[in-house]
Order: sequence, then C-alpha cells, then structure tokens
Amino acid sequence: MNKKLKNIVTVALLAAFLFGFGAWAALKPADALSFSERRKLKQRPTISVSSVLSGKFMSDFEDYALDQFPLRDEWRTLKALNSLYVYRQKDNNGVYLADGYAAKLEYPLNENSVAHAAERFRFLYESYLKESGSKVYLSVIPDKNYFLAEANGYPAIDYKALVTSLREQTDFAQYIDLFGELSLEDYYHTDSHWRQEKLPAVASYLARQMGVTLTDEYTEQMLERPYYGVYYGYAALPMQPDELRYLTSETLESCTVYNYETDKTGAVYDMQKAKGNDLYEVFLSGPISLLTIENPNAESERELIVFRDSFASSLAPLLAEGYAKITLADIRYLPAVQMGKLLDFHGQDVLFLYSAAVLNNSDTLK
Amino acid sequence: MLFSSVPFLYYFLPCVFAVYFLVPMRWKNAVLLLASLFFYAWGEPKFIVFMLVSIVQGYAFGRLVEKYQADRRRARLFLTLSVIFSLGLLGYCKYADFFLSGFNALTGLRLPLLHVALPIGISFYTFQILSYVVDVYRGEVEAQRNFIDLAAYVAMFPQLIAGPIVRYADIAAQLEQRTHTLSDIAAGARRFVLGLGKKVLLANVFFELITAFKASSDRSVLFYWLYAVACVLNIYFDFSGYSDMAISLGRIFGFRYLENFDYPYISASITEFWRRWHMSLGSWFRDYVYIPLGGNRVSKAKWLRNILVVWLLTGLWHGAAWNFVLWGLFFAVFLTAEKLWYGRALAKTHILKHLYVLLLVIVSFVLFDAASVRGAVSTIGGLFGAAGVSAVDPASLYYLRSFAAVLLVGIVGATPLPKRAVEKLCATRAGSVAVALLEPLALVVILAVSTGYLVDGSFNPFLYFRF
Repeated sequence: MNKKLKNIVTVALLAAFLFGFGAWAALKPADALSFSERRKLKQRPTISVSSVLSGKFMSDFEDYALDQFPLRDEWRTLKALNSLYVYRQKDNNGVYLADGYAAKLEYPLNENSVAHAAERFRFLYESYLKESGSKVYLSVIPDKNYFLAEANGYPAIDYKALVTSLREQTDFAQYIDLFGELSLEDYYHTDSHWRQEKLPAVASYLARQMGVTLTDEYTEQMLERPYYGVYYGYAALPMQPDELRYLTSETLESCTVYNYETDKTGAVYDMQKAKGNDLYEVFLSGPISLLTIENPNAESERELIVFRDSFASSLAPLLAEGYAKITLADIRYLPAVQMGKLLDFHGQDVLFLYSAAVLNNSDTLK
Repeated sequence: MLFSSVPFLYYFLPCVFAVYFLVPMRWKNAVLLLASLFFYAWGEPKFIVFMLVSIVQGYAFGRLVEKYQADRRRARLFLTLSVIFSLGLLGYCKYADFFLSGFNALTGLRLPLLHVALPIGISFYTFQILSYVVDVYRGEVEAQRNFIDLAAYVAMFPQLIAGPIVRYADIAAQLEQRTHTLSDIAAGARRFVLGLGKKVLLANVFFELITAFKASSDRSVLFYWLYAVACVLNIYFDFSGYSDMAISLGRIFGFRYLENFDYPYISASITEFWRRWHMSLGSWFRDYVYIPLGGNRVSKAKWLRNILVVWLLTGLWHGAAWNFVLWGLFFAVFLTAEKLWYGRALAKTHILKHLYVLLLVIVSFVLFDAASVRGAVSTIGGLFGAAGVSAVDPASLYYLRSFAAVLLVGIVGATPLPKRAVEKLCATRAGSVAVALLEPLALVVILAVSTGYLVDGSFNPFLYFRF
C-alpha cells in the first residue's frame, strides 16, 4: 500500500468513525432506562440563558451525551474486556469475577465506619430499648468477599476484626454468628445479595438463637424473567444471569405487609416489582424505610423489630412464622431519631441485622 | 470541554471539521475563532470575558508598541502597560490568595482571602500574549493588524487551555496563508488518536492507581513506590497526550506547532530532562526571563540568581502553592549542581545517570502531586520506609498484580522503543506492508477502546487545566 493510499484509508476510517457515531448520537432517540445499570438515563437538557451562564446546561449535556451514546452497553463491555483481558487488571470498576461470581472489592476495614454504625445502634438502644425490656440481638451478614476474595488473590477486610470491634461497641446486644451458616452458593452470581431459597436453615438458626422455633416447609417459585444483579451492570461483562426464586407457604400467603411510606397493605412478595429493573425488590417491595409483616396465624403474640439493610428483605419473611408481627426499619432512609415517633417499643425482640459491606460503609446510617 | 470527552469527539469536532473545510480560506480563521470561543465558553462561560479583554489589550498594545517603535521610551511604556495588565490579571486570578495567606502568616494579620476562581488556561494564553507583545517590541514580528487573526492565534482551541505555549512568531505566516494537505491531515489524525490513547488508555488508568493509593490508609513501601511510578507515568502521559492532540489538531488545521515533549524519561541529566519536558514552557522562560536577565553571561552570583528566579517562576507558574515553589527550586538546585560540580562526571556513567534522573524525577513529581509540603515529605519518607512502614501488604501486592501489565506498557511507552521498533519494521518490505495495512485498523481500535473508557465514565480531567 503506498503512502497516499494509506493516508486516504486512515483519514477515511477515522472520519467515518467520528462522523458516523457523531451523527448517530445526535439523531438517535433518547433511551429512558439502562436495563443493565438499573437506572434512568439522562435526557437532553433544555437550554436557557441561566443554565448556560451557570454551566449547568453544559454539564447536563455531557452527562446526556455519555448516557445516550449509541451502543452504550457494548462500549462499556469493550472497556471491561480491555481492562481484564488486555491490561490483565484484576477488577473493573471495583468488580471482579471469580469462581463464576461477580463481587465488589471491599477493602480495607474502615474502623471509623464500624464505630459509626455501633454508635447509631447504641443510640437506638439507649433511646428506645434500654427501658423497654427488649431482648436485643446483633448479627453480621458476610458479603461474598468473605468466601471469594482471599482464595482468589483479592484483598479483603478482616472480618474477624470487624465483628470483634462491633461486638465490643454493642455490648448491649447478644451476637448471633451467621458466618458459619453461609457459603458462597447462598449468594447470587451477579448480585450482592443472598438467595432466599437458600436461607431457610439460616432463618431457623437465627430464630433458634432468639428462642423461636420454625417448622414451615416452603414451595419454591421462580420469576420468569432472568435476574441481572447489580454487579452485572458494574462489571459490564457478558455474564449468565441468575434466576430469582422465592419461597411460599401457607403462612407467608396469609401474611400482610404494611408499608409506612405508601400507607398501603400488600403481600410479602410484590409482583409489580417483577416487571421493574431490580427483581430483588420483589422481596418486601425493596428499599422501604419502615414496614411491618403481620402473621394472623402466629402461635404467639411475640413481635420482632429488625433494624436492617436490604439483605433482610429476603430473610425476614422466613421469620414470619415465629412472630405475630415483624417490623423492619431501615435507618439509611429513616433517621434513628425519628423512630420513636413512629414505633412503640414495648419489649419486642430486636435484631440488628446488617451486611459487612454496609457496616464498612456506614455513613448512610442516620 | 475536554479533548477526551464524548461531546468534544463526537459533537464538537465533526461540526468544526465540516464547517472549517467547507468555507474558503479567508474565513477559516474566523471559523477557528468562533469554534474556540464556543469551546472555551463551554467550560468557562463567564471567564471568556477575561480572555477577550486580554486579547483586546494584547492587540491594542501590540499595535501601539509597533507604532512607536522608533520612540523606544514610549514603546517601552506600552510594553510595560501590557505586561502589567497581563501579569496583573494572572496574579489576581491565580496568586492573590497565595500571597495574601503568606502575608497573613508573616504578619499575623487576618486579611480576608479573595477566593478568586482560576479561569482555565489563563497561564497559557497570558504567556502567549506576553510573548507576542514582547516580540513586537523587539521587532521580531510585525504587529497583527487583523484582530480576528490575533484572536484566533490566542484563543485557538487546540492549544488554548493546556498548551503547548505557541509563539506568535512561529505561526504568524501560517495565520495569513497555509495549506491543507492529505498527508498533514492523515499525520494529524494519526497523532491525535495516539494522543487520545495516551490520555484515556494510560494516564487515566494510572490515575486509578493514584486514587486507590490516596484512598487507602494501609500503605506499605511497595504501595508508595507504585504510587510514585504511577504518578510519574500519569503526569507524562496526561500532558504529552494532550500536547500530541493539540499539535495534531493544529496540523489538521494547517499549523505547525513546535514539539512539547521528547521522551524526557530517557534523559541522562536533569539539564537534559528539562530540554525534553514541557519544551514550550522551558524555552519561554529561557527567552523571556533567563536571557533578558543576562543568562549565563554574567557573574556567577548573578547567574545563580537568574537560575533561581527562572525556577522559582517555573514552580509558581504550575501552581500557587508552596509545594510548587519547592518543586521549582528542587530542579534549580540539581541543575546548578550539575553545571557546577558533577555534570561531567555523571555523563561518563552508563546506568547511574539514568537512575539518578529517574529517582529525582520521581521525588519531584511526588512533591508536585502532593496536597501540601507536609504531605509530600510524608510520602517521600514512605518511599524509603520511614515511620516503620511495612515493606508490602495485601493491598499493595494486589495493586501490583492488577496494574503490572499497564505499568509495563507505560514504562515502555515512555521510551522511544515502540517508535524505533515500528521504524525498524518499516525498513523491511514485508514489515512496511504490514504496518501500512495494520496502522489504520490499529488507530480505529485505539479510538474505539478509548471511546469505551469514556462512555464508561472513567476519571478524565487533564492535570494541566489547573495551570
């Protein structure tokens, strides 16, 4: 190929690339949602004198241009492939693949974060529980890194130190150790959460430690749609989706869930969410600050309050058999200081149930 | 607007290319000026006034200096007014709070700080205007009569916000008349994509390692060295990548800008390093500060003063903070020492001279990147195991494994080895054909993967924007 021809080919190819994708980006109708990233995509900003002078229009347009770029998911996959297989990087956007699972790096142990979480728990105890006669329990849910990280050469937090530190700062609570009750197979491949269908034994163990016996047998159901977990979007790599299964029983079918945010009563499994971006929200409608599960067929009047994160959404229904009422409170969305206005503390069992990842990043706990 | 951004690459650039190459030659500078003003206003809508006022004063004083060329006193007066205006604006925007806090610290007073936002690119366009007016005063160039042409020179978007510092004398003729050839456009396009790749596929990835280091509280000696090496590579690929893109865009538009980097990390002395690093800034200070002060043709004491002044100003040019001042003085010390004491002996060594340069450059860029002098001292101490830092820890081993390949690519890429390998390949017939066939495809792949990184939203800002 002579030099002139090479120049023509170089200019033609690069110009076609820039002008082609430029025209496509400008003319393409805007997508509303990114399925893989589970979020709304930025729409073309409206222009005004004030938005231009403040620079808001420009920054909004840059976000829009990135969000709406043609073949966005494919570009992100190309980047991930380059990171992992050309640069041989061990993670992409902090997410790594090992043993067929995607997990997010969680390192190092953030002692201040653990202390903040403990301080919030103590505030709840001192404010509402100390004089109420409640039995208070604490349990930590290991994230997938506990099973995956060190074995595959990834740094992991010192889980023993995390639990020890938390326990030392929450001496008002009886600790229930779940680490030995779980294994990697109990988690989704593409998501951070645990699989409900694997949890009956964990729920029984937890309940037993709180003096409650569970005997229910469950029937496994499965959503038709494949489940692309949160790490599927982060990793941007071709991965097989999970299946989302949920457990039903006569007890669970008779339970009602009251949502304080919407002031509505519904079922344990919110099938409207099976049409949404995050199928895990089928469990108790997802991130709700305050809700109750009432079991009309409970054999006792015993009640449980769970201060929790999203892991409890799939676990708590499995505890419903043993309690007349379970209250789930999420102090990431509802500040601890407001709990007294909404809840009556009168000697219920109380469980602080948090994942290690949330404890290590607890600035969201209010 | 960043060169390495989707709006620039896929909205702005195609539009500018289309309009620029469609209009006749007499309108091309106006198109470049309008595009440049839009480019600047995109990131700094309010600060465009500062730049326009600077251009107007540069134009007016340039004309006045030329008009009174025969009356040196009056010409010098207009030159002085222009210099005061340029440096006054730069000083107000960039250094006011630095000097106020220094004054407060010295006197114990509490004069309020001004908190002036730094207009992007002000250091670059101010130096271009200064050199233009000085060159007119020296009679080295004629004052530009066409305001649009002068404004296009100062505001030209390829070099507006992060250099290289282009002298008016170097492109005065091209502003009037220039040609656009296929070979120039192809060479420009090729270099632009390589510059984009240097920025997006290397500098930004090294920045991830820097970010991981800064976010971590567990630091080992290994982690300190990983950070330092990432820092050195990040700064080089960031800035030289930007310069490549600037120079290549200039070439596509028919301008020939001077080079700004020439493989600085292969230097055998600090003196050589500064001949290869940010060449446009070094030559600017040489021609407009060092030589006017007498250069090295003065007494030893004055020569030392001249070096000190130039490197103090070089440090301050990079930022209004003490670590930048120390950074400049750090180089002044070693440049002087090389000239006075060990320069010749060093040149006779083989490996040692390169290790010497690399070690000093690593230490200097740790100082450069530090948030404070105390932070720099702590990090430099960490490199040598101060304060009982452990040799390795799980995090540093992980990052070593995770970044080893890209660090290797960066280290090799910072040397002329890849260029020489391609040249050697092209020397054979088969190799030449292979390169000719694969080069356009490789460029498309680099552009595509860079686009992937941009769409994924990796970290992006150019380091030199803050100057």
